Amino acid sequence: MSRDRFDAIVIGAGANGLAAAAALARAGHSTLILERASAVGGKARCLEFAPGFRAAPLSDTAGWLPPSVAAGLGMALPALDQSSLSVTVDGGGFLTLDPDPGRAAGTIRSYAPADAERWPRFTALLDDLAGFLARLYQRATPDVDAATIGEMATVASLAWHFRRMGRRGMIELMRTIPMSVQELLDDWFTHDALKAVVASGGVHGIRQGPRAGGTGFVLLHHRVGAAAGSPRGRGYWRAGPDAAVLAFAETARRHGATIRTDAEVTHIVVTDAGVSGVVLRSGEQIDAATVLATPDPGHVLLDLVDPVRLDPEFRHAVKQIKYRGSTAYVLYALDARPDVPGLSLDGAALTGTVSLTANMVLLERAYDAAKHGTMPAHPHVEFSLPSVRWPHLAPTGKHILLAEARYVRYAPEDDAARETLTDAITRAVAAVAPRFEDMILHRATLTPRDLAEQFGLSEGAATHGELTLDQILFMRPVPGWAHYRMPVSGLYLCGAGTHPGPGVLGGAGWLAARSVCTRRKPAG
Amino acid sequence: MSRRYDVIVVGGGHNGLVAAAYLARAGRSVLVLERRPLIGGSAVTEEVFPGFKFSVFSYVVSLLRPEIIRDLDLPRHGLQILPLESTMTPLDNGDYLASWADPDESRRELYRHSPRDTEAMVPFGRLMHHMALAVKPILAMVPPDPASLAPSDLKALLRLGRHFRSLGGAQFHALYKLMTMSSADYLDEWFEFDPLKATKSASGIIGTFLGPRSPGTAYVLLHHYMGEIDGAFRAWGFQKGGTGAISDAIGNAARALGAEIRTDAAVERVLTKRGRVTGVALESGEEIAAAIVVSGLDPRRTLTQLVDADELPDELVEGVRRYKFRGSSGKVNLALDGLPTFTCREGIRHHRGAISISPSVSYLERAYDEAKYGEFSRQPYMDIVFPSMIDPGMAPPGKHVMSIFVQYAPYALNGGWSDAKRDAFGDTVVQTLSRYAPDLPARILHRQVLTPADIERITGLTEGNIFQGELSLHQLFFLRPAPAWAKYRTPIGGYWQCGAGTHPGGGIMGASGRLAALEILRSA
Repeated sequence: MSRDRFDAIVIGAGANGLAAAAALARAGHSTLILERASAVGGKARCLEFAPGFRAAPLSDTAGWLPPSVAAGLGMALPALDQSSLSVTVDGGGFLTLDPDPGRAAGTIRSYAPADAERWPRFTALLDDLAGFLARLYQRATPDVDAATIGEMATVASLAWHFRRMGRRGMIELMRTIPMSVQELLDDWFTHDALKAVVASGGVHGIRQGPRAGGTGFVLLHHRVGAAAGSPRGRGYWRAGPDAAVLAFAETARRHGATIRTDAEVTHIVVTDAGVSGVVLRSGEQIDAATVLATPDPGHVLLDLVDPVRLDPEFRHAVKQIKYRGSTAYVLYALDARPDVPGLSLDGAALTGTVSLTANMVLLERAYDAAKHGTMPAHPHVEFSLPSVRWPHLAPTGKHILLAEARYVRYAPEDDAARETLTDAITRAVAAVAPRFEDMILHRATLTPRDLAEQFGLSEGAATHGELTLDQILFMRPVPGWAHYRMPVSGLYLCGAGTHPGPGVLGGAGWLAARSVCTRRKPAG
Repeated sequence: MSRRYDVIVVGGGHNGLVAAAYLARAGRSVLVLERRPLIGGSAVTEEVFPGFKFSVFSYVVSLLRPEIIRDLDLPRHGLQILPLESTMTPLDNGDYLASWADPDESRRELYRHSPRDTEAMVPFGRLMHHMALAVKPILAMVPPDPASLAPSDLKALLRLGRHFRSLGGAQFHALYKLMTMSSADYLDEWFEFDPLKATKSASGIIGTFLGPRSPGTAYVLLHHYMGEIDGAFRAWGFQKGGTGAISDAIGNAARALGAEIRTDAAVERVLTKRGRVTGVALESGEEIAAAIVVSGLDPRRTLTQLVDADELPDELVEGVRRYKFRGSSGKVNLALDGLPTFTCREGIRHHRGAISISPSVSYLERAYDEAKYGEFSRQPYMDIVFPSMIDPGMAPPGKHVMSIFVQYAPYALNGGWSDAKRDAFGDTVVQTLSRYAPDLPARILHRQVLTPADIERITGLTEGNIFQGELSLHQLFFLRPAPAWAKYRTPIGGYWQCGAGTHPGGGIMGASGRLAALEILRSA
């Protein structure tokens, strides 16, 4: 029986996989995408967690689709909406930060006038700093042993853009990246709730508290591509949480890539000459001399590749990658829209995110528990109402509440521990939404352990490797191998575990595909 | 005004004395003014109790730059460093972990606990040695200003770039990891035996307000690895006569080169006229003229207390305001009528070395947790030496002195420090130690307890920070103490800084004093 053969196989139909496939197909490579799940989308895939209720827990903000990727693939950017961020305040009520910094300053003023003055300047500074990262994120990362003309040109161009930030911008960038988000915020603000809600963006996806060095960088990372002045995060896709990945999928198909779902790769076949194809769970083998893999580096390099094909030191470096998933999600199917007294109901706040952590000490204490391997008694909880943004995700008149809780340890959970955690989260939400518990029709909890099993994420980390400073840029996924090519000829890594990392939709896939295209010509 | 000098050095700490000696050596007339009755700053020996001499604050030495020892011929002036031969960590299970001067013996000892770690120790030691070598040229370098376009800065940046390139990918990446990781994560990549990791990571938290799991602490680990005595990396030693004798040796060298040193001469203000220094005014009212004034005090005192903030650009004042001190350690000095018995090991051989109370990484981390919320650690990390075991002259015959470095004791204690809290802190230290040496309380003749508030009051170190400001990434090199002002000069003509609050800072190193003096001589 003759086996199928492609120029390139892409493992994983998330944003990066689809972007890589679209780019390869566009350049004339016959390309096959293999997806383990029964639908495309990766982390933006909507799950039906209760009959008629769907949500994409890992994709509650849009992420950033770099303009260079959209242009390179010839796709239109889906419409994006901005949303607000609210935080509960000690002593009652909510502080709501509008995406417009002027309006946000207006609400801050009634709590802390001096902070209100600073808010527009603070967000403008973050915009500038994140703007530099945006440039960095649209190229392969420079490294210390840059040797080719292309690499040198990247270094020179980045140096030029760095200098163009001006003296203050340069200094602030160098200070902010290694610093803790708490120190950064202490320099600017006094109001507890304001600091806590911004700080939570600095610990997003990282198992560190707000006092940890490098959380300043995390804050900036998640702002890259955000609308100017927005408090945190990047808004949401108007058409649905999966709007961007569906657009990538459409583009990939349009350029001629083939997408197969329910096709889990269990083995990447390597011969002395390099990669020769993949084997699916069904036993089917498909040939290709180029394989691009988007799952996390540990899964690809330790589980899918025969150990004898990799240098032990390289494998050791891969094993050192820190994933440390520490976020759990609870999806609630609700009979009605919950009412949150004190939270403005004019729509803006309800399409946004609400944080229930009113000060930095609570955030730090939630981290302490995970650090010592226990479940926090009072997790840091943020929630949103996806059904307000996207009514098509729930039956008419019904609603969805998506709660995100930190810091949750990665451990085998028995049902009792999961229930205890879920109850703690439910109580936290019910404390601000009085009739919430009566509205619950169904609830589904995803602990890091569940995410590991359902999404194939090492240690349940959606980041594919947490964004500590030692795991970014030329250190991502492992030092010396940051340019997508792995030490097996024909094998490329291009998921969130590679530069530029999580939240940059298609960023790594596009850069990896370009790297493939410079080395390999289409067979046809 | 009385007599006029070329240079006045404010503060007779070791950096001020080093600067004075280098300037006198170049033929300048130099006057050192010290507020206290004795020179040394934090490197002083005092007979706190009759017959019992203590290195009251800083108590061991390793980082003193060999070029300074050579240039100033310090051995001739009394420098005599006796090696500290061992480190012993009592364990929770009643056993101990030790390292001895003889590497073979240390290997056998570690093998008892972990054969795997014994293996790992060799490449680890080699790598740390390489890392210390890689950082060495940077320690000896005046930090260039990366935001400047001046040819000298560009040249220095280029030299720095070439230095990093010359390390090659592998070493550069290893150095980058050390600069950004937490000491616990860094050591996890190498070792498995928790007390070993704890004892090593302890040197990563000394003087910082961070725990071993906080990113940035691996750098402090390296900082403590950079010591050289007689060219041998990593050796820690004890000065005969206490650390005050080091200051005396430098002071003697400076005097021999022609510098004058006045004690009991507190400088109240640095006098300026039209943006240039003209001299200093003492608290006594006396004024002394000089064209150059060098301050060895910390950045806050140097830039906001000795001179008026309105003489400085806003950006610098803001930079100093944001500069973090956050003293986190205290000191307990005990006069004993005999050696305490550590139940984990028979004999007194280990009393000749350091004893580290660091039974596990979690122990250190929990000690930090309490400090985060404004309490001193109920079970603190401690680094203990018995100076009288190494230099019998420190105590009357048959008696002993015990020096206990204690962390964490936050400067900003809830409710502030008081006499009662100081006593409670001292009791905590003795109680914690009595778990390991039950006869300790009965041996104590006298006790001196120094909180960060006491350290600030006596030595003048702001917030009692022993490094004149934390050694966190955003406060190092060209950011120490503030961007654009890391080259020892200040915006006031003829006014210079030479304390540990400038690059490279921290420990009895002298490098800041030397680099400042050389920079002054170069510019004049």
